[in-house]
Amino acid sequence: MLQDNQNQDARTPGIKIECDNISKAFHVPGQDRLLHVLDRVSLQVYENEFLVILGPGQSGKTVLLNCIAGLIEPSAGETRINGRPITGPGPDRGMVFQRYALFPWKTVEHNVAFGLAVRGVPLKERLAKARHYIKMVGLEGFERAYPAQLSGGMKQRVSIARAYANDPDILLMDEPFGALDAQTRYAMEQELRTIWEKERRTVLFVTNNIEEAIYLGDRVVVMSALPGRVKTEYAIDIPAPRNYTDPAFLALRKKVSDDTELVL
Amino acid sequence: MILSKRGASLIAPAASIGVFILLWGIISLNVSAEFLPSPLAVVKEALRLLHANIGGTSLWGHIGWSLRRVLIAFFLAILLGLPLGLYMGWNRVCEKIVSPIFEVLRPIPPIAWIPIAILWLGVAEGSKIFICFVGAFVIMILNAYTGMRYVDPLLIDAAKSFGANRTQQFFNVAVPACMPSIFAGVQNALSMAWMCVLAAEMVGARQGVGFIIIQGMDLNKPAMILVGMVLIGIIGSLLAATLRQAEKLLCPWRRELV
Repeated sequence: MLQDNQNQDARTPGIKIECDNISKAFHVPGQDRLLHVLDRVSLQVYENEFLVILGPGQSGKTVLLNCIAGLIEPSAGETRINGRPITGPGPDRGMVFQRYALFPWKTVEHNVAFGLAVRGVPLKERLAKARHYIKMVGLEGFERAYPAQLSGGMKQRVSIARAYANDPDILLMDEPFGALDAQTRYAMEQELRTIWEKERRTVLFVTNNIEEAIYLGDRVVVMSALPGRVKTEYAIDIPAPRNYTDPAFLALRKKVSDDTELVL
Repeated sequence: MILSKRGASLIAPAASIGVFILLWGIISLNVSAEFLPSPLAVVKEALRLLHANIGGTSLWGHIGWSLRRVLIAFFLAILLGLPLGLYMGWNRVCEKIVSPIFEVLRPIPPIAWIPIAILWLGVAEGSKIFICFVGAFVIMILNAYTGMRYVDPLLIDAAKSFGANRTQQFFNVAVPACMPSIFAGVQNALSMAWMCVLAAEMVGARQGVGFIIIQGMDLNKPAMILVGMVLIGIIGSLLAATLRQAEKLLCPWRRELV
């Protein structure tokens, strides 16, 4: 009874993901010391919010994302989804990785349908669903292609479709556009924002690029270099469609740059 | 353009083999036929052997015996080595138990097993198949094991993030991810089995391509020895080519890369 009450209390309306003072330290191989990667990070992500975590190369932001994904267990503190502690990965969260992590032996449609296959959805049904999301990311006609035949931007589109196709509440994106050239990157940022406007999900997006953070995010949380701490956060109230060269955009970008001393 | 490329891909190997035979012919003209028979003499000997009775068995019969030993050993090696190697690379406990034993057995060349194999299994088929099996098995385990160890952990993470359980991670992600090294292992295992069968057949066999070579030596017929050696080369490369075709069929995503 008491347990139930606590669970209900813990669930603040609108809060989807909650990190409560989480810390993470790794053993340094061959040495008798710990590397502190996350230091008492507290964070809330609201339902259907696009939250960007911005931090320099070594700031533990990927580790934070993996904690929420359930791939890593924090050393201290608790991560919760809908008020319930995270115990492992689950289909309520979909991940997009920087290095795509597509399965090279599967065609585009079977990559996209992977999550559904894992859950035992019948072949016809899952391929139909996969095709819907392949269309959404603009890859119609490439259903039968193998990842090796695609460009980096196309691979990341497949990866986004794969995450969406599993119908998660939450999308976790780990520097998804970090490996793309500048032109493709701009195009993918715009496309992601468009897709998200159509199919709203709670998004947690990790990047080290200030411009990308401001372009995409409803809110940007800035993390420090190791050990990763939450330094500050910004609400981005520039209305969509945003423009990289808009005066308001540039002003905000300068402010964030100055504040965070991140040099681009 | 494509046609000329295809043409070149046929002309180049034909030319290189042609030059090799030519050099062989030139050298054989300058030494005695006992030392190095000419290519023509070897071809003549091969044609003669096609219809001859070599120690009670025809030429095709000898090839058949060798192939039978190799294929039995090869399939046994895959059947046992592949799952063991894959599981060794997947499961830490299995790795800790099996790999020390394996590390000690691995450097022992298959030929070194001949005496003990004969002691255990006699001079009949058993020992010959066993020796081929040892050679192929070690290679199969090694390739499956290293393939599994080098599966990109990111792919496993991706599978986990979609809620795949341990079994699904193994069969749906890890095993297909190491298909290229499994295939490299299968190919090497088959060539190893083929090499081992000849060694095994040189010790107390009455049939097999290895027996042809030994017979050639006993009868002091260098051309016959060379026929045996050329046969080994041709059959070995045919076996390898067959497996390459099988890989193309079974790993279509790699075919697209070429």
